[in-house]
Amino acid sequence: MTMEKITVTAEIQRFDPSADKEPHFESFEVTGLANMRVLDVIRSVYENQAGDLAYQFACRIGRCGTCAVRVNGVSVLACQEKCKPHMRIQPLKPFPVLRDLVVDRTEIEARLEELKLAPLRTHEHPGMPEPITPKRAEELCHMDSCLLCMVCVSACPAVEERPFDGPAFMLKLRHMSKHPQDTRNRLDQAVEHGMLECFNCDVCTQVCPADLSPAQAIREFRQELMFGGKRPVEGRPG
Amino acid sequence: MSQGLTLPRNTTQQAEKPLHGNIARWLHRITGTVIVLFVLVHVVAQTILHVPGFAGIKAGMPWLPAVQSQHWVHALLYFSIVFHTLYGLKLLISEMGLRMGYRVPLWSIVGLSALVGLREVLRYAGI
Repeated sequence: MTMEKITVTAEIQRFDPSADKEPHFESFEVTGLANMRVLDVIRSVYENQAGDLAYQFACRIGRCGTCAVRVNGVSVLACQEKCKPHMRIQPLKPFPVLRDLVVDRTEIEARLEELKLAPLRTHEHPGMPEPITPKRAEELCHMDSCLLCMVCVSACPAVEERPFDGPAFMLKLRHMSKHPQDTRNRLDQAVEHGMLECFNCDVCTQVCPADLSPAQAIREFRQELMFGGKRPVEGRPG
Repeated sequence: MSQGLTLPRNTTQQAEKPLHGNIARWLHRITGTVIVLFVLVHVVAQTILHVPGFAGIKAGMPWLPAVQSQHWVHALLYFSIVFHTLYGLKLLISEMGLRMGYRVPLWSIVGLSALVGLREVLRYAGI
């Protein structure tokens, strides 16, 4: 079976802070298999047309979240997104651009560190696996599949307009708040980091490459805020 | 949130689809603005039309009574009122704990609002 071939036009945002005052676009034509992903196009451009193009990738299977970019204004994982005949590829916003498609993740890492996303225990680890209900384990495992790719943060309109850290951070806080061993007040942390600024528009849910719903995590936090107190968590030792 | 353990999707085509949340957000803002503007214009127009002290202004604006009875103005207003109310309720209900998606509720509300707007157009047409 022969695979159909297509030629795509990729306008890639170029920016070298040491040489350019403003970002500009360079247009490239790439011919390849019809089912190639955006990352395949970027790699082809790098290998054949612009050896100085800066971009990032690691796993190529949508597990690491490193290759996130904006395609035609929508934040996507480049390794997962199917290429289009005409693409305008830009780095994620609102992060500072280091060069071309590479953004500076220093602030992201600093915020993650600030949130202290490890369970704060009331007692020492007993040295053996602690009991947890299968339902709770599955829920935690699912929430833990967040790649921290920042696709949701980049797509979030509230991040752009308001003092809101972003959906990914709220999801991480919710993940911790559901952890049976965590005793830190995650609701307060979420409020401090702008949880109430969310528009509840679900754009984060739509764009999440891991099929998670940060918006639902925020809604759960808001219910907790409205109806008072932390609801009892299954699996938490009494 | 789906509770199943999911791997990332095999292929996404996000950049080809509309972002429903952004459409909803802008429609909610625009319809809210339409309602506020209509109320403002309505209050000013009614004042000019019915307060004797504004008779001089009324005489210079013979088109004023007709402005508020245009079929498209009513259709837009009714669409805006229904959309803004229902989408606002959807936001409230989802925050109170009822889980609902973002595509089906949005387009159902748009459809229902459009029907109400269309009804106004048909009413003006005598149908």
